[in-house]
Parts: sequence; C-alpha cells; structure tokens
Amino acid sequence: MAFNARISMPAEARAGEIIEIRVLTRHPMDRGGQSDGKGGTVPRKILNRLTATYSGEPIFRLDMYTGVSANPFVSFTTRALETGDIIFEWREDGGAVFTRTARLTVT
Amino acid sequence: MSLPISPPSRHSESAPSRRDIVVGAAAGIGLAALPNAVMAATQPALSELIARLTDGAVPERGRITLEIPALVENGNSVDTRIVVESPMTEADHVRWIHLIAEKNPFPDMARFHLGPRSGRAEVATTLRLATSQKVTVVAALSTGGYLTSDADVVVTLSACIDGG
Amino acid sequence: MRLKLALGLLIALLGTAAGGEEITSGSAFLSPDLRRQQDDPTRNPGWFWVEQGQGLFGRKPGASQACSQCHAEPEKSLRGAATHYPQVDAGTGQLLNLEGRIEQCRVERQKQPAFGYESGELLALTSYVASLSRGLPMDVETRGPAQPFYNAGRAFFERRQGQLNLSCKQCHDGLVGQKLRGDTISHGAGTGYPAYRLEWNGVGSLHRRLRACSLGVRATQFDYGAPEYLALELYLAARARGLPIETPAMRR
Ligand code: HEC
Ligand code: HEC
Repeated sequence: MAFNARISMPAEARAGEIIEIRVLTRHPMDRGGQSDGKGGTVPRKILNRLTATYSGEPIFRLDMYTGVSANPFVSFTTRALETGDIIFEWREDGGAVFTRTARLTVT
Repeated sequence: MSLPISPPSRHSESAPSRRDIVVGAAAGIGLAALPNAVMAATQPALSELIARLTDGAVPERGRITLEIPALVENGNSVDTRIVVESPMTEADHVRWIHLIAEKNPFPDMARFHLGPRSGRAEVATTLRLATSQKVTVVAALSTGGYLTSDADVVVTLSACIDGG
Repeated sequence: MRLKLALGLLIALLGTAAGGEEITSGSAFLSPDLRRQQDDPTRNPGWFWVEQGQGLFGRKPGASQACSQCHAEPEKSLRGAATHYPQVDAGTGQLLNLEGRIEQCRVERQKQPAFGYESGELLALTSYVASLSRGLPMDVETRGPAQPFYNAGRAFFERRQGQLNLSCKQCHDGLVGQKLRGDTISHGAGTGYPAYRLEWNGVGSLHRRLRACSLGVRATQFDYGAPEYLALELYLAARARGLPIETPAMRR
C-alpha cells in the first residue's frame, strides 16, 4: 500500500468563509541516491506535485522536492464560494497519478 | 550499517558538532552552545539560491511568520508553518511561497502556489532536514516584489539507532 | 573521546537517580508537539496502518475465510484481546505475542503462508487489532505456565549486557526522565506499539524498538519474534499492567 490520503476539512461553510484544508498522505517519499546493494543507487520516487481544484477551478498547487518528509502533512486555505467538489490530485515520479475528492457544501 | 550511540555516517555533515550535543544532552545542560556546521564546498551560497528564485531581486525582510522548531527532534519530519501578511486580493496577493534548506543535498524543498481564492497566505507542511542549518522562506507577490524570512534550526539525533 | 565522556556522565547519573516509581506511558515523555500530533488523527500517520489492517481483516485471501468471517464484529469480539498478550498458547505451550497469534490464524486457520515479522501486512493487522483495545488497561497473565517466561524476561531486563555493560533496567528505571542525545528516557512500557516512529518514517513493531535498544548498548540483537524478546515483552507488559493501550502511538 504505497499511497493513501486523509483529507480533513469542514463539510459545510458559509459563502465567503475561509476554510482550512488539511491533507495527510501515506507515501515513503523515497529521496533516492542510496545504495541498492547491487552496485547501483535507488531512484528517486516521491510525490512531486499536489494540486487542488474546486468546482473545476485550480485553487492550490504544491511542488514537492526531496525536502518534504515521508508521509507528508500539508495544509492550506481556500474561500468557500459555492457547493462543489474539491478534487485533489497527486503526481508521483514515473507518472502515476492519485486522486481524492471531498465535497464542500456552501450555505 | 550505522553504529549505535556514536553518530552514524548517514547524517555526517556536522558529526563533530553532534557529539557536542550528545555531551550536552547527556549531562542535562541543554543546548546553549549551538554547533556551527561547516558549509559543504559544493553547495551554492544561500544568496545564489535566493537570487535564482527572484531573478536577482533582493527580497525584503519581514511580513512573514515562519514557525519551525528551533530544536528539531528528528530531521525526518519537521513541522513547519508559514503565514504571510497579505490582503490576498486580485490586485495584491502572494503568488507563491518557496522553502530552501541550504544544507540539504537538494536545497529546494517545496513551493506552494496560492492566489486570491486562497483567502489567506497560510500554509503548513512537514519537512526533511539533513542537518542543523538555516531554513529560508521566499514569497513572491503579485505586485512584483519578494519577501523573505529565515530561522536557524538544530537537528538532534536519536539515542538508539537500529540501522533501519 | 567525547563519546566516552557522554557515557561517563550517563553512568555517573546512575548513582544519583531514584528509580522504582510508578510506570508511566512513553507518551508522557514526548515533546508537547509530538504528543499533539499523536493525539490528532488528522496528523498521526499511524492510522494509515490501522486502516490498512482493517481492510486486510475483511478481505478473503484466495479461497480461505477472511479474518472477519471467524471474528465477526471485531470492535466487540476482539476489544480487549491485545491487553492479554503475550500469553501462553494452550495448544503448544509456547509464548505468543499478538503478532504470533495473528500469524497462527493466518497459517493454521486460513492455510496461507505466514506474512513474516515486520512485513507490511502483519504490522497493519497487528496495529488494527491492537487499536481495538485503545484505552483499555494492559492485563497479562504471569502465573502458571507463563511464570517461567516472565522470570526469564525479568532476568533479561535486569542483566547488564553489551559493550556498554548496561541493563534495560538501568536506563528504563534508574535514568527515567534523563536526556540521552535527543531522547528522554521513559519507563520502556511499550504500550503504544506498533508505533509510528519519526526515525523509521513508518510504523514498526515493539521488537524493532527492542532491537534498537540492544544495538544502543552494543549487545546481541535477537531476531524478530525470538524467544528472548518474547519473554522480555511479557515482562514489559506485566510491568505496564494497568496502562492503557495507545496503538498507534507516535514516537521520536
Ligand atoms: C477459521 C476461523 C479463523 C480465521 C479465518 C481467523 N481466526 Fe483468529 N482465531 C480463531 C480462533 C478459533 C481463535 C481462538 C484461538 C485460541 O484462543 O486458542 C482465534 C484467535 C484470534 C486472536 C486472539 C483473540 C484473543 O482473544 O486472544 C486474534 C487477535 C485473531 N484470532 C486474529 C485473527 C486475524 C488477524 C485473522 C486474519 C489474518 C484471523 N484471526 C483469522 C479463528 C480464526
Ligand atoms: C542506554 C539506555 C537504554 C538502554 C540500556 C535500553 N534502552 Fe530502551 N530506550 C532508550 C531510549 C532513549 C528510548 C527512547 C525513549 C523512550 O524511553 O521511550 C528507549 C525506548 C524503549 C522502549 C519504547 C518505550 C515506549 O513506550 O515508547 C522500550 C519498550 C524499551 N526501550 C525497552 C528496552 C529494553 C527491553 C532494554 C534492554 C534490552 C532497553 N530498552 C535498554 C534507552 C535505553
């Protein structure tokens, strides 16, 4: 089980309210370069990008390098505008993509 | 295979200084004397790392709160929070926040891209710090300027390391 | 040079330390920051292992029965189970810890190859089963057939060992509360394991922690699941009687 994510944010918010979105991710974030025991080195394999869209509009992007920890935590804010899905998308070295969706109801 | 008690070579950048910490910690006298690790010769200077981000502009100090422990328990995961004072309007907002660890093998750590919809310029993450060093944050403003702040952190080691 | 000095100071402290007080959880010795992270499910990555274990628990391995088919409603049927481990297996007379009991079900009841100690699956299942006893007090049997194992564990705990000639007890009784490098020495209760250690970047078993302590004093590191560590685990669990299970704890 290389990837998993736990997204914590309010399910409901008032229009205009600023909400905090907290994202805990399970990923080893292998920084690479260590010996593989066979004369070579382990390749880097990290999540290099997290993007979030809200009702289809980009609201946040995080570029990650090897200085982000294993099983990283990230938090950011966004302004509640309308009821819609917030879609989180992670890109891993090598091209794999993981997504999660959270619904925000705006009252 | 790393040795116990004595600092393992995989975090070797400032090994002599670490022993100072061991002595201090074991004697229960705290960490008043902070190590002054030697900068690796191959690493570009911090000012160059910053200039690369700002196209040469010198960022202004201030308006950034960088919350990071002065004494890090374990460099594998360092809780870090950044708040930039900004109205976060269409006309005046923080475009991005970039984190640098000058003595990490790869100094760029992360870049947060924000916009007016963020509401606030307030982000957090968990960083990996290879050794005691200065952590620098640079923020790019929509109005064209840059802000910066930094913090010196001391990274301690575990007492019993199992090589895994 | 400096290293010798550090150890000299450490051992000098042994003369002055009190020891013998009531046992407290390792969590009591965490920094406030790490303690807060541990107690916040939105921050503690150990819950990923619990969640993975819960998934495995309900899944059929091949044609065999899922754990959940024999252990229906695990939140009730297995609540408290972890507080009684290690325990002597009635069938074989061997001492089994929670990992050993799960492997027994895996091999004998599910007829599947053992997961292997410290495998991702066994860590996940052990974390999940232990988490079902969160908040319940440790309560292992030390009498009857368990007595010889308990005695062996206690003797191990008190024996000086390794190049540093230190016993577990000297640190985890005599030096409790003292700083050793960046760590604060606790009673060595072990009630949060499997635990997420920052040092490991992941969840590991109690035996992995014990191996780190053995190496720390440059003594023999026993294999995962070795009889020596099982006996030690029983003694630690008996010493921690009454302390709540905290899996998945966070440790430095
Ligand atoms: C075919 C039925 C069966 C399956 C499948 C099974 N178990 Fe069991 N399990 C048992 C029985 C019967 C016992 C009681 C053994 C005893 O007390 O000697 C038991 C005991 C246990 C215990 C100890 C409970 C206690 O109170 O001491 C645990 C923990 C456990 N099983 C976990 C698992 C896990 C995890 C799996 C899946 C990997 C699993 N079991 C699969 C039948 C099963
Ligand atoms: C040189 C001192 C030292 C010795 C000797 C030592 N340990 Fe430890 N041990 C530590 C430190 C430091 C930690 C990490 C901080 C703590 O105590 O929780 C630790 C952690 C532990 C933990 C985890 C505690 C928890 O609940 O998180 C257990 C269990 C443990 N040790 C058992 C043992 C056993 C058993 C032995 C003997 C084989 C032993 N230790 C020998 C220093 C020592």
